[in-house]
Amino acid sequence: MAEQPIEPIHQFRINNLFDIGTFGGNGTPGSGTHLAFTNSALFMVLTVGLIMAFLILGSSRRAIVPTRMQLMTEMSYEFIANMVRNTAGTEGMKFFPMVFSLFMFILVANLFGMFPYFFTVTSHIIVTAMMALLVFFTVIIYGVYKNGLRFLKLFVPSGIPWPVLIAVVPIEIISFLSRPLSHSLRLFGNILAGHIVLKVFGGMVVALLGAGAWGIIAIAPFGMAVALTGLEFLVAALQAFVFAVLTCVYLHDAIHPGH
Amino acid sequence: MSEPRDQNRPETGSDAHRATSDLEARIARARGQRAAEAATEQTRQGDMSGMSRGLRLGSEFVAAIFVGAGLGYIIDMFLPTRPWGLVVLLLLGFAAGVLNVVRATAQMNAETAVPKDTPALRDEDE
Repeated sequence: MAEQPIEPIHQFRINNLFDIGTFGGNGTPGSGTHLAFTNSALFMVLTVGLIMAFLILGSSRRAIVPTRMQLMTEMSYEFIANMVRNTAGTEGMKFFPMVFSLFMFILVANLFGMFPYFFTVTSHIIVTAMMALLVFFTVIIYGVYKNGLRFLKLFVPSGIPWPVLIAVVPIEIISFLSRPLSHSLRLFGNILAGHIVLKVFGGMVVALLGAGAWGIIAIAPFGMAVALTGLEFLVAALQAFVFAVLTCVYLHDAIHPGH
Repeated sequence: MSEPRDQNRPETGSDAHRATSDLEARIARARGQRAAEAATEQTRQGDMSGMSRGLRLGSEFVAAIFVGAGLGYIIDMFLPTRPWGLVVLLLLGFAAGVLNVVRATAQMNAETAVPKDTPALRDEDE
């Protein structure tokens, strides 16, 4: 067979759709910052556009007896609002716009990724890392702004004798610094691994079908691929939820340090 | 004057009457059961599939070790402490990773624990 080899990570390749230009640098090739509109950027724009269309359409009528669109919009609002109140407290509702935006962006980007031939924005760690760092710096800046030096109580658990603190404080600081890493790695890892596994099983089906009479066993990886597609939908929604919950947990620390 | 009689009402004592006489009580019971189901559904919402649970704990653990080792490496680049910054901070990162896992597990357990006042769900025929 003269087809191209099946490559499970081909789906994550970034292509430039059109160039914007090169900024800085001295004119030699490779210098300066080259900006281009990529397929990743295209899907980010599509994601944001879909969310905006969904929310604007759903909230345009504002009927007392809601239509289906309005009901879905209100449910998504209430779902996140309840989660923020339960996890970060009522004061955390200040950050509701951020949490809601993050949740909707990740959810829609993940679900976009489930379409064949679509690009998955959240499968690149730079995207998830930027979102995690946004949360991280929001926690630090708001925590210091709100609590001043009392924010540092986050690193000093109460009721511990001072000789132990010498060991505990560095551990707490490392634990705090590891948050954006684990926060971004989890989303990125789940999406990346899920899509690679799906592609590998899909590739096995194709390879086995080319094997003559033995092609009958292609039904086994095909069944796996079907089951994994269902699982991936679950993971897509779940990881958006987990990202939002952890954002709320971290914001709770910024609002009430030392708990 | 006797109250107007519903022509379609089944005779007292007939099978049809017995079938509907406790209807109100059954509806009330079913409503209570639905509320109980909704309550357990609420607690179950924080639950995750086993894979994401594992990935959550794994990333918490590994992230702390990476951060610890990275900090140690940077300290060794600027201070003449090589290799002790890396060694000590790698170990501290390991401790922080264990701490992260313990905290994440405690949080997961708190989310999924069944509240004590949840009524037991049982079939009506039982």
